Amino acid sequence: MRILPILLFAIAVPAAALEEIDFNRDIRPILSDRCFKCHGPDASNQKSDFRLDSRDNALRDLGGYVGIKAGDLEESEMHHRIWSSDREDVMPPPESKLSLSDKEKALLDRWIKEGATYDTHWAFKSIPAKLQTPDNKPLKWGSNPVDPFIAEKLTRAGLAPNPETSRRSWLRRVTFDITGLPPTLTELDTFLSDKSQNSHEQVVDRLLASEAYAERMTSEWLDVARYSDTYGYQVDRDRFVWPWRDWVIKAFGENMPYDQFITEQLAGDLLPNATKDQIQATTFNRLHPQKVEGGSVPEEFRVEYVVDRLHTFGTAFLGLTLECSRCHDHKYDPITMKDYYSLSSFFANIDEAGLYSYFTPSIPTPTMLLTSDEQDSQIAEKEAAVAESIKALAAESANAEDSFTKWLMNRPTEFQWTGLEAHVSFDGRQGGNLPDRVRKDKPTKTSGNNKSVEAVQGQGLQLTGDDAVHVQGAGAFRRTQAFSIGMWINTPKKFDRAVIWRRSKAWTDAASRGYELLLLDGKPSAALIHFDPGNSIRVTAKNPLPPNSWHHLTVTYDGSSSAKGLRLWLDGKPMPSTIVRDKLTKNIEGGGDPDLRLGERFRDVGFKEGKVDELHVFKRELTAIEVAQLHDDQSLLQALRTPLTSIGPQLRKNLRHYFLSTTHPPYISELQNLQSARDAKRSLIEPIREIMVMRRLEQPRQSYILDRGLYHSRGEPVGFDTPAVLPPFPEDQPRNRLGLARWLTSPDHPLTARVTVNRYWQLFFGNGLVRTPEDFGSQGKPPSHPELLDWLARDFIQSDWNLHHLIKRIVLSATYRQSSIALGESRETDPENVYLGRGTTERLSAEMIRDNVLALSGLLVKKSGGPSVKPYEVAVSFKPSNPGKGEDLYRRSVYTWWKRTGPAPVMMTLNASKRDVCRVRREVTSSPLQAFVLLNGPQFMEAARVMAAKLLEKHPDSPASLVDEAFRSFTSRFPGDRERKVLLKLHAEQLAHYKANPGQAKGFLGIGAHPEAKGLPPHEVAAAAILINTIMNLDEAVSKR
Amino acid sequence: MSTIHSPACSGFESPIGLSRRKALQSFGMGLGSLALADLVSGEKPQKGPLPNAIPAKAKRVIFLFQAGGPSQIDLYDWKPRLKADAGKELPASIRMGQRLTAMSGNQASLPLVGTPFKMEQHGDSGSWVNSDTLPHIAGIADDICFIKSMHTEAINHGPGVTFMQTGSQFPGRPSMGAWLDFGLGSMNSDLPSFVVMVTKNKGGQPLVSRLWGSGFLPGKHDGVRFRADKDAILYLNSPEGIDRTNRRKVLDHLRDLHEIQLQETGDPALETRIAQYEMAFNMQRSIPEVTDLSDEPESTFKLYGEHARKPGSFAANCLLARRLAEKDVRFIQLYHQGWDQHGGLPGGIKNQCRETDQASAALVTDLKNRGLLDDTLVIWGGEFGRTSYCQGRFNAGNFGRDHHGRCFTMWMAGGGCKAGTTYGSTDDYSYNVAENPVHIHDLHATILHLLGIDHESLTYKYQGRHFRLTDVHGKVLQGALA
Repeated sequence: MRILPILLFAIAVPAAALEEIDFNRDIRPILSDRCFKCHGPDASNQKSDFRLDSRDNALRDLGGYVGIKAGDLEESEMHHRIWSSDREDVMPPPESKLSLSDKEKALLDRWIKEGATYDTHWAFKSIPAKLQTPDNKPLKWGSNPVDPFIAEKLTRAGLAPNPETSRRSWLRRVTFDITGLPPTLTELDTFLSDKSQNSHEQVVDRLLASEAYAERMTSEWLDVARYSDTYGYQVDRDRFVWPWRDWVIKAFGENMPYDQFITEQLAGDLLPNATKDQIQATTFNRLHPQKVEGGSVPEEFRVEYVVDRLHTFGTAFLGLTLECSRCHDHKYDPITMKDYYSLSSFFANIDEAGLYSYFTPSIPTPTMLLTSDEQDSQIAEKEAAVAESIKALAAESANAEDSFTKWLMNRPTEFQWTGLEAHVSFDGRQGGNLPDRVRKDKPTKTSGNNKSVEAVQGQGLQLTGDDAVHVQGAGAFRRTQAFSIGMWINTPKKFDRAVIWRRSKAWTDAASRGYELLLLDGKPSAALIHFDPGNSIRVTAKNPLPPNSWHHLTVTYDGSSSAKGLRLWLDGKPMPSTIVRDKLTKNIEGGGDPDLRLGERFRDVGFKEGKVDELHVFKRELTAIEVAQLHDDQSLLQALRTPLTSIGPQLRKNLRHYFLSTTHPPYISELQNLQSARDAKRSLIEPIREIMVMRRLEQPRQSYILDRGLYHSRGEPVGFDTPAVLPPFPEDQPRNRLGLARWLTSPDHPLTARVTVNRYWQLFFGNGLVRTPEDFGSQGKPPSHPELLDWLARDFIQSDWNLHHLIKRIVLSATYRQSSIALGESRETDPENVYLGRGTTERLSAEMIRDNVLALSGLLVKKSGGPSVKPYEVAVSFKPSNPGKGEDLYRRSVYTWWKRTGPAPVMMTLNASKRDVCRVRREVTSSPLQAFVLLNGPQFMEAARVMAAKLLEKHPDSPASLVDEAFRSFTSRFPGDRERKVLLKLHAEQLAHYKANPGQAKGFLGIGAHPEAKGLPPHEVAAAAILINTIMNLDEAVSKR
Repeated sequence: MSTIHSPACSGFESPIGLSRRKALQSFGMGLGSLALADLVSGEKPQKGPLPNAIPAKAKRVIFLFQAGGPSQIDLYDWKPRLKADAGKELPASIRMGQRLTAMSGNQASLPLVGTPFKMEQHGDSGSWVNSDTLPHIAGIADDICFIKSMHTEAINHGPGVTFMQTGSQFPGRPSMGAWLDFGLGSMNSDLPSFVVMVTKNKGGQPLVSRLWGSGFLPGKHDGVRFRADKDAILYLNSPEGIDRTNRRKVLDHLRDLHEIQLQETGDPALETRIAQYEMAFNMQRSIPEVTDLSDEPESTFKLYGEHARKPGSFAANCLLARRLAEKDVRFIQLYHQGWDQHGGLPGGIKNQCRETDQASAALVTDLKNRGLLDDTLVIWGGEFGRTSYCQGRFNAGNFGRDHHGRCFTMWMAGGGCKAGTTYGSTDDYSYNVAENPVHIHDLHATILHLLGIDHESLTYKYQGRHFRLTDVHGKVLQGALA
């Protein structure tokens, strides 16, 4: 007893002078908290050369003096500085607002005197391969290997474990802990009368096998994964991610080994022959908030997404505060900026945009089509049909030789454009109208700011870059339709970026949905886009367009949705170009601005002072000779007039292609068949939903150290690597997320298993063995039972990361089974129950409190999975929405629809995590606002009245039985005599009150959507409902004890 | 005025480096008294100053947040140059290549435009205020300290508002009100200490609840939003059919039951539970009392304007703010959206001012008349200002302005700031700060200073780091202090 208080209040201070100094326990916390900020690992941001983060550094000669001379206080500058009374000299300096107590100073002195030994931070040491359980002889207490570790510490502290708690109390505790739901009275009675040796284990097995277990574990994981049904930030639209939540439920339901659970979520897409489920798991990495606010800089937010993934990874799996290393080397832990950005590379390597689309509902890329198996086979059929069509087209081409030869001999000498949809010559302007030579009734519209100028053929237009030219009614192409657009342009300079033409509402605000021709770094670049850049095809010319001269630019597209079908032509000839993107799997229409427009786009860079002339739009893919004709106004005509004998092979080929696609009906009909086949596939795919997942970029994205963490301050490039202080990246693994997951789940990793078992320990005991589950670094709390933590971690790994195994270790231990009532002085001597000499007392989680009343009232709808639902409370959130109907009102809270900017208010009041960022711990408060929820909230009042009716039917004439059953349902015990008396009195008073005031009963018996009880006197239901609501509000009903 | 408080937060450290238990031991409090303390975050005030204590001038803060980015040029920051040079391009020497939002950043032209409103000097102080649309604020110019040289790195609303409210552009940090509740605690026992009111039915850039959240501080420091509804806070009122007498009876029995448990287990958490329900019962009375304006005389509505009769209006919220200040609510945060004039600015400004001018001035005057202004700090301002050039095409009569973080105007009144002054200035284009720049961190440091807190001392250890509202920055604006 004597030594205990010291241990509790300052783990950093060894108990007695004689006890050996343990660097990690006694010294590191002081150095870290008081000294490292200026004398720690972040060398580049410190004023002093003196570093305390390693022994070598601490003992280094600093030019005639040393910070620490091992064993010699007088020679150690540090000793003088910490004791100095001079404001200029004393360390830590007064302006740091940090200080050392005399006890701490004395301890540092002793440490220096005894040799200033260092030790690797405990959490970075490997987990011993084999650990002995401590000698438990003195206590002879316990039921499994967990207990000797607890017993040993208790004994050393002069404490003793509590007696075992009652069977009913254990059942209630373990049922809530494992399933998040209360035990039923039947389960309670069964267990109480079960005299078998392994009755506890049977219960645990039953609970672990239940669907409710999977839902409970998922509930906790949603906090870690920052799950939300909306994107977050300001605009916060709904998003479609709940199938990932169902993946988690399924994984827990199948007791998926935890290393696999981690691996699939981090890198399921990279597993060999990844299944849809495994790819689906990676949605985990995409659950961070996403931005759509107009005017934002996309790169800024793309960087935010990457670091959010990284921070989540750090907190959830490593238990490290990587955040600190974003702007400078970590002040406390040996994690450098280079480590940080190297690790971020793994999470940056996807084709994503920094903003999602404001004008369209596109799912931010990368995505996966969420097909059923049936749809997969339907799609495969349609694909086969497309392939057939392509073959048939080729066959038709081969068969056409005779017809072509005939045609060639009797060629026409004139031609008409085939498939010409619009032709704007920019001549004959009338105010804002530019006549269209094809569609006389549809002039193209321009603002007066765009000036008519002399151009290639007559007049052209000079654009302001802020005023679009609107080609009315032209260009409404789907991705399965072939089309061609040609125009003369004259660019005044080499634009970094400029819009020449586009059919899309906006750039980032619509993720460029549609198609476009831009200048990028002066180079023409054409694209068809569902969501830029991840779902698009784009080809970009290899060379810039020469400025200040006229050039004819044509884009042709064959309707194939593939980049090789999209071609750029300069002055009638194919333009050497590069395929930049080649993944277009969804529609390119929608979002607004359905017509072709020139020279400007919403919030994009316009073609300022660029000139244009002779716009042609075709509803088909032009052949080479037609493109040449567009440019020089003669190629095709000349070819048609060239004598047969003068036609060389290339010209013959060109004419043949021209003949087939404009003149030869069987070929044209096969072209139409091909389009129909593509359309059939498209319309099958179009309605199928996509979900955000991870997909590695083939060409890895280069990451950089970002100076001060700023997105635009790129420094040194970094590769894919893990922090140097942790085990090296395995040589036999690929440098990608899969390799990272293998590294993370290697049996030798010092952190992963420790962090995991600690989180699950916390789930059952309210606190982890490390009480800062988010920080295993030097600023975190050291473990209260380091050997137990290591033993559990190693045992967990050896069980093949079997969560059931771990949970059974915990809940079947005598430690877990202890009574939670603090006996004697133990509340004073160990107020926070660090020594675990008693069971945990803890308020139930938000989800449990709500689910409990639903379960006990019989309203709970036990349906697993599916879209998130809206219970009553969403109507009164900060961002209200309409509650659902029927079953939706009574589902478990894990399914409650989560809106980031206005989360479910009952859940929030009861301390649920906001799920803005990864959280591995909830903090429980006690506020009057919670009382309002339980006393007045419709979900709770409805449950009370429904349960009242149910119990009244069961116990029509016996208030005492009614009281007993209501009380027992909520507490798993019968009321004591005094309690029963209070409850009966309450009930009698209420009965009298509502009998006398029948109108009042009507006031709340209609709360909620559940039909009112029929055939029961309203005052009886009202009185019973008040009784039940009161019991609901009991501390015991909302607590685990 | 400063007092030691030991926020009850097991496992976390208190702002002043004492664990709760240590504090209680030091001051001889038993564990039982923790119960109520857990509920009202301030606990019973105890004697003894914060380290590095500063004499507090303000006891409470009313922040009239004008969301969307009010145009400094059209309200307070008079720039004749913009009228003279209307239609001309913003000189490159002024812009200096700074990043613009992606809304006007790609505009081919950035034409300057002056304010269409009459800007005049007012009061003995001669402070510049738009007389057309802010006649009431102009009328209290001598009570106000204008800060013309505010600046922020944010260029968009989300990051901008988050920065102003939490000291960081990105979500996750505690809001200013939560910091104050954490550091100073509550001054009353039957009202929340941090209350938030948002003008009802205003469009504009959305606000989000985390703006008044406690971030990584214990959840009890969350701001409590008062809704313009029969339930001012979530499920405040008992359901129909449960009257106050009956509620009392039921709660008495609940208390009996908790006391039985307390006797059997000795667990002090039960005392907390009992106190929780007693306080809830009190709040069921105190909140409707404070939100019910029917006891206000006609003169009040004359002062605040007829709008103040309409629940949820900015004027009604200003009046409520005064009533809450009288009850010693520590931090009262109002939000009024709609200042995001990308287009139609002249009309938009008129509307916004019609809704806010009279009530903002009335609040200051009312507090002054009641002797509350001396220790109540009123702050007016938004997340950033607006550009001196047009967004979209130039049209001197009807134009818009884009977001501008390089300079903007805020004002403060009461609570120890210097009345009738203007602090800082901008260049001729209201584009850059010319003198005495005030960063958001500096504003925060100054607010804390006025409340008697050294901004470097108010820290909270989270994830191993000692966090501050002012991050690692912030300096007190000595020149703005009385």
